[in-house]
Amino acid sequence: MVKRQLTAPAIAESISKYLILALAGAWMLLPFFWMFSGSLMTSKEVTSLPPPLLPAQPQWHNYIDVTRVVPLLRAYLNSLLVSGLTVVGIVFTSSLCGFAFAKYDFPGRNTLFMLVLASMMIPFFVTLIPVFYIVKQLGWLNNYAGLILPSVVSAYGIFLMRQFILDIPDELLDAARIDGASEFRIYWQIILPLSGPALATLGSFNFVTVWNAFLWPLLVVQSRDLFTVPLALNSLRTYGMEAQFHHLQMAGTAVSVIPALLMFVALQRYFVKGIALTGLKG
Amino acid sequence: MSNRLRVLDVALPLARARRRLLPRRVLWAYLFVSPAILALLLFTVGPILFTLWVSIHNWNLIEPISQMPFVGLENYRYLLTKDAVFMRGLRNTFIFTICGVGTNTVLGLMFALLLNTRLRARVFWRTLFFLPIVTAPLALGMMWAVLLNKNYGLVNTLLGLSGIPQQPFLSSPNQALACIIAVAVYQYVGYYIIIYLAGLQGIPEEYYDAAAVDGANRWQSFWHITLPLLRPVLLFIIVTNTIGALQVFDIVFAATTGVAGETSGGGPAGSTMVVVLHMYNTAFKFFRMGRATAMAVILFVIIFVVTLIQLRLLRERV
Repeated sequence: MVKRQLTAPAIAESISKYLILALAGAWMLLPFFWMFSGSLMTSKEVTSLPPPLLPAQPQWHNYIDVTRVVPLLRAYLNSLLVSGLTVVGIVFTSSLCGFAFAKYDFPGRNTLFMLVLASMMIPFFVTLIPVFYIVKQLGWLNNYAGLILPSVVSAYGIFLMRQFILDIPDELLDAARIDGASEFRIYWQIILPLSGPALATLGSFNFVTVWNAFLWPLLVVQSRDLFTVPLALNSLRTYGMEAQFHHLQMAGTAVSVIPALLMFVALQRYFVKGIALTGLKG
Repeated sequence: MSNRLRVLDVALPLARARRRLLPRRVLWAYLFVSPAILALLLFTVGPILFTLWVSIHNWNLIEPISQMPFVGLENYRYLLTKDAVFMRGLRNTFIFTICGVGTNTVLGLMFALLLNTRLRARVFWRTLFFLPIVTAPLALGMMWAVLLNKNYGLVNTLLGLSGIPQQPFLSSPNQALACIIAVAVYQYVGYYIIIYLAGLQGIPEEYYDAAAVDGANRWQSFWHITLPLLRPVLLFIIVTNTIGALQVFDIVFAATTGVAGETSGGGPAGSTMVVVLHMYNTAFKFFRMGRATAMAVILFVIIFVVTLIQLRLLRERV
């Protein structure tokens, strides 16, 4: 492309471009700015008219106070455990199943794959009540099993892994078989290491989804010991209705969004790729 | 002739050996797919049939499923003729979907085009738009409820600076749904920007160069190159966004519970009630599982039909 000359219209255009981006960007940042700023204010400052943009004196102790109102630390550990185990489960079931669909010929393969594709189209609300009932009958209400196990399978994950593993050359698998490797060993020592990017996409995407999940934990969990971070936030809100708890609500919210944001910044490439892939296959 | 026989001598036992080996591999394959397939059967396929079955019964979740009274299509009849909240929910869901999808599609494209131009610190600008996608809708819904507070909300303060009178926003039945749509666009537009950007990057630069040589201005090359080549992406965005928007729940729940004295969300005065929220309340507050599952079936059918119509309309249009 030819380098654009610095004519007056070009400069005006460039300025307006950055102006629009800056305004829109400020709007995107507004809730984040306010949750961090508000989390360091006194309860009076947050609800004063008009509210100050920054706290006069940062109240760092808000972050400790909030853990006295709701079991935020415990919720954090619960969320890490639930998100971590769910992601491991999804990655394992998806890669194993995707591997079989990509590299084996077995009776019923196409039927089962159609079943997976059809499952991708099913919205969550259609299965919500029956899954709740099944979990209740299995005695998984109000424990980790109920939080984790219904989510350890992802039809989209199976599809993604199958597409990725299709591109791994068969010769690699045959060579390993000649060397006497078992089929599971082929999966463990060849397929998994070669699927790194797909696994990172699948893992980061699902970590964020499970970390942010609200409706399902709300149904399954009754005791405060099992609260995940969104549930702790939600219970903060009952206090948040009273103005003197607003600053603590902000502190809780600020703490809750950090892991997903960090995960995103660290794995942005894979994350974006995951979204772009879903978009381009259609 | 003898040569051929020799080949067969080797080939036959090999084929036999392979046939003997094959079932083993087939067994392995079944073993590999079984965890995922069993989980799908238990948590997706089975539940769909279960939902259909419950929707023609009365059930309170506690009594044994063998003793649910059969009521035929009564649940459906009730929802479609007598349940005013459901009708309100359907209407709100449609308004939310049409406005939300329209805004996301247009705004997403505009910002994707902007982000696709030569920019300093492009990754920084992009990241700003992506942040809300990874943040819990609950957390952002709560933050917007605070920002849009009619008394001490920051948005009203900003409006005040430019001389616009204070607005009630989420506490007004006239403005609440519009606020919910704005919050939803804020939350998800980045997702569509990503997909648009991926699509834009797939358009070869040469097309634009060729158009420039022919004297096309930027509007013309957008209209005759970018838009036609983005058609599959546009189709995908409209279809998936519609499917997602018809299921809206988290944002409404987060932004409206506790506002203006509402305890169960969907307020004020039912002005933000949506189908899935009503289904949730019907099922887990009033334990009318028959009605709730019938609602799920109706919404599922609506989603299915709308998707088919969109695919047909958008694919055929030249």
